[in-house]
Amino acid sequence: MADVDIVIEICGSAGDGTISSGEILSRFMSSQGFEIMSFDSYPSEIRGFGKCVAHSRISNKKVLSPGKYTDILIALNNAHAISQLHTLRETGIVIFDNKPPNYLEEDQSIAGWIEPGMISYGIPLLNLSQKASGSARGRNMVALGALAAIFGIDGEQMKSAIHARYAKKNKVVIDSNINSFAEGFTWAQQHVTKVDSYTFGHSKPKPSKEKKAIINGNQAVAQAAIDSGLHLYAGYPITPATKIMEIVSRELPKKGGVMVQTEDEISAIGHVIGAGYAGKRAMTATSGPGFCLMSELANLAVMAEVPAVLVNSQRGGPSTGLPTRNEQSDLNIALFGGSGDSPRIVLAPTSVNECYTCTTLAFYLAEKYQTLVIILLDFFLSNSIRNITTPVPPKANQLNSNVAPTKTALKDYKRYKLTKNGISPRAIPGTPGGMCISTGLEHSEHGHPRYDRNTHPAMTEKRFNKIQGALSEAPKPRWVGPKKNVDIGVIAWGSTAGSAHEAVLNARKEGINVAFMSTVILSPFPVKEIKKFSEACSRILVPELNYTGQFANVLSPHLSRSIERLNMVTGLPISAEDILEKIRDMAR
Amino acid sequence: MDILKNSYLDEELEAVKKQGFLDYRTSQLPTWCPGCGYFGITHAIVQTCNDLQLKKEEVCVVSGIGCAGRYPIFMDVYGFHTVHGRSLPIAAGIKLSREELTVFAVAGDGDALGIGGGHLPHTIRRNVDITLFLFDNSIYGLTKGQTSPTTPLNQATNSHLKGNPDTPLKPVSLALAYGASFVARCYAGDVDGMKDVFRQAITHKGFSFIHIVTPCVTFDKTNITWGRLNGTVEPIEPVHDQTSFESALRLAEIPRLITGIFYQDKKRPSYMEIIRETQS
Repeated sequence: MADVDIVIEICGSAGDGTISSGEILSRFMSSQGFEIMSFDSYPSEIRGFGKCVAHSRISNKKVLSPGKYTDILIALNNAHAISQLHTLRETGIVIFDNKPPNYLEEDQSIAGWIEPGMISYGIPLLNLSQKASGSARGRNMVALGALAAIFGIDGEQMKSAIHARYAKKNKVVIDSNINSFAEGFTWAQQHVTKVDSYTFGHSKPKPSKEKKAIINGNQAVAQAAIDSGLHLYAGYPITPATKIMEIVSRELPKKGGVMVQTEDEISAIGHVIGAGYAGKRAMTATSGPGFCLMSELANLAVMAEVPAVLVNSQRGGPSTGLPTRNEQSDLNIALFGGSGDSPRIVLAPTSVNECYTCTTLAFYLAEKYQTLVIILLDFFLSNSIRNITTPVPPKANQLNSNVAPTKTALKDYKRYKLTKNGISPRAIPGTPGGMCISTGLEHSEHGHPRYDRNTHPAMTEKRFNKIQGALSEAPKPRWVGPKKNVDIGVIAWGSTAGSAHEAVLNARKEGINVAFMSTVILSPFPVKEIKKFSEACSRILVPELNYTGQFANVLSPHLSRSIERLNMVTGLPISAEDILEKIRDMAR
Repeated sequence: MDILKNSYLDEELEAVKKQGFLDYRTSQLPTWCPGCGYFGITHAIVQTCNDLQLKKEEVCVVSGIGCAGRYPIFMDVYGFHTVHGRSLPIAAGIKLSREELTVFAVAGDGDALGIGGGHLPHTIRRNVDITLFLFDNSIYGLTKGQTSPTTPLNQATNSHLKGNPDTPLKPVSLALAYGASFVARCYAGDVDGMKDVFRQAITHKGFSFIHIVTPCVTFDKTNITWGRLNGTVEPIEPVHDQTSFESALRLAEIPRLITGIFYQDKKRPSYMEIIRETQS
């Protein structure tokens, strides 16, 4: 079976159907047994002809990153597609409209920008769309039809996928889409002479027996929360986390839960803390600006020892920043945000799959350790679509992790009892004899406010020690490559880890002695494993999407090696190629 | 060492025990100034809980920061002393999770109308079934006498020595305008009046707003004092129609110490009832 690893980008302006055609393509290719990783970028304005790009990597091997270079670019809008040409491979292919409605100067049509080595296929997108549907709106489907014909995708099967996508719409919509697709398919079959070697045709993987779910990070988080026994979700709309609220709002009430769209993020985390205090599982999801607003109450969860799960999908910052661009620059605030010495658990999934597992783990840990658990996603992870093996919901014993006080303990109940592991058995309101005061003031074991010289040190230590237990319950850091005498060790976190992993695998193929480590738990920090890894490596590289190297700064005190940093703030996901280039530089 | 375990406390507890109200009091002695109106309010809340035979473990009291914020510490129920201004969202989160609990939010004028003012209209419009006790002494007491959102115009405070330049808010009018389904005002010097209102507020299905006027004996010696308030209380006449929003608003706009229930809508469903009916 030949290797297939093709990146397709559909580029148009808002309203061209760019994103929906990308979605159809990804879903269909997934159903054909391919691995996919898709990612859409769009402007933060709803209208105004902003640039939309549906990016999809389709492969019959495991996909770890979105891929930096495009193999096939479909231009639904000339100006936007021209500005996207910089990502096209030197031998890439452009599909464009060769019969535009108006005469275009040479530099206005993408055809005028094709470099030697690239291949272009002109398709009369608009004419065929008008012929098939009587409007210009089917151009995206004409393009998909042409794509299928040229690159060996089964046209009949794809037609049924399009039918399924629009099944709930009226017949006119279904027919226009199907007919436009068919028109493009037939036209390309008859008129296009294929001069490239890209094809999906001979490499169709065996359809996997495993049931696949095609979801993005936000959907994985929402599904995991519901599977984990979520009772209350409170949130305020903010890109890129809003989708989590929308999904939860549809699913949660069916299970007897409550979704509250609050007046602001402060109220959202307030509701979550209230529900957690009352013994129910609750969550909020936000992004940087909302996360800042939540800082004070997030600290209350730490001090008063109340479970709270907080998802922060990072975007470019500071302030309003870049709402629809990717960055990993909220690590500092996630680890250290708020006043005082404030220990919390921080998990950062590295893949869509881990978005699910980290969320179920977060609920378990928050309840058991009675504290704040932050899940750090980012714009890319929230929106990147993967076809993953359908996740396994948490087992019954993970659905209630609260440590309740014994009857004897309730005789003189100490809400904040100093115990060996730091966990004080927690009486849920309604428990007779468990009446007590929970407070954000420093407090005695009974919960009474105390500011003396002994209480604060003891309680601070308790709060720090308590969460250490989470380390043994979280997945161990992942180590790929040799265990000793490594030249370069790459340590990555969050969505960057996939690209770093791929870069390391490719670098090893090139003969570079390199290894890879990533960790999903960032607080408490898995010092032991990270230390061991760094000691096996001569040099350490940390790639991440922020200016100052926030993760490298966290690592630095624990390592005896100096750290080479690769920091990018372009707003785009870091690519395996970028990291590979850096590894090659270091290896020279 | 627990410095509060002294004979003074024992005497206090003994005296309370004789009255038969020990149940809801803790070993923690209130830290309010002698003569503070909050003692009277506490007394009325405790007595009302007794009258309603509420199980201690099924009562949750949530407070913010300030002199009123300390309130849950002195009550033997499930108390949650949170951060400044956020008692309403947290109390709502509790009630929306455990409907069987009786949930009180306690907030001062700064807590409910200043820093937390943004939460008031929204908790009200959702009609979450909780009771807000707004302890309004028209001053920031715990930080020692600064202007609050209800400090009278031109009153000298430690943050406005030449007099408060900010027009004070009118809590009852606000609650009505926001659409609260239960709106009342009480006076901290009138325990029987408070008990009557508290009982109806707690049993009301939906959000109950109780504005409680009280002096701060330490930081306001001139305007809102026992001396000037006692004897000026005007209980709402029985002829007042509690179901009429217009009459309630007219009454609320009268700048006198009018007490009692201004408005109650018994038909409006609470938030959980609406959620169950429309969302699932």
